[in-house]
Amino acid sequence: MAGRADESGALSAPGERPVRWAPEERDTLPGVGWGWQAVTGALVLVLVTLHMIANHFVVKGGLRDYQEVIAYITNPVILPLETLFLVVVSWHGLLGLRAVIFDFGLSVRAERIVTRVLLGVWVVTVLYGLTLLAILVTHP
Amino acid sequence: MSERAVTPARQAPPRGRRRGVLGWLDVRGRRLGGWAFILNRVTGLGVLFYLYLHLIVLSQLAAGPSSWNALLNWFLNPIFLVLDVVLLAGLLIHGLNGIRLTLVEFGLVVSRQKALLLAFGTVGVIVLLIGALRFLSDVGAK
Repeated sequence: MAGRADESGALSAPGERPVRWAPEERDTLPGVGWGWQAVTGALVLVLVTLHMIANHFVVKGGLRDYQEVIAYITNPVILPLETLFLVVVSWHGLLGLRAVIFDFGLSVRAERIVTRVLLGVWVVTVLYGLTLLAILVTHP
Repeated sequence: MSERAVTPARQAPPRGRRRGVLGWLDVRGRRLGGWAFILNRVTGLGVLFYLYLHLIVLSQLAAGPSSWNALLNWFLNPIFLVLDVVLLAGLLIHGLNGIRLTLVEFGLVVSRQKALLLAFGTVGVIVLLIGALRFLSDVGAK
């Protein structure tokens, strides 16, 4: 794209700070940015409401004991919904954390690193959650 | 659409406002939307912290019924149940404010923002009261 600096700052004179990308060009991943925070936020809103009602409002005693957790999580309707909740809520949360970190005014390079690290955290979070779900579903 | 475009703190920052998180504490020239922005960030960080705490605690399920049920008894003491009410408050503030922000951002109900805030505030307080009664009635329930 014309007028845009590459990573080495090719459009800048030697020793000069690289040309900063326009804000709308900073996001290097799909699913990142304000619009997605609203979309994932809407999904989280539905799923967290379901999660709170199912786990803390309708259950006798307000919390599920082991057998109740297994019965809940092996329900064929609940399992995909809770899995989706895990994927979407962690994305929404880490995307929010990214926005907070970006508020410190980082360089484009630092922002990219933050984005990649948080993407890694998200992958680990989802894998951890899926593992836990798999254990609960297969060893009741 | 850039995420930066929606931060009220950036729309009209007073001269000399600090950048970054410390800028949130700056009360100069901040209007209702600015406070809502701060509140959303603070509750968002709090709820994210809880999310990871929650995911870590859930690993005890893999240790079997006795570990989980012992933990459960612990969580049914009044201190934890009060913290549950605090969590619900954080979720309500963040969720309702998120809806409000999204509506306004997409150009809906921009002219009725105070009415919207009042409506959402009322809903939030009612749900919080129901939640508090529900949670606090669980003390030592299992």
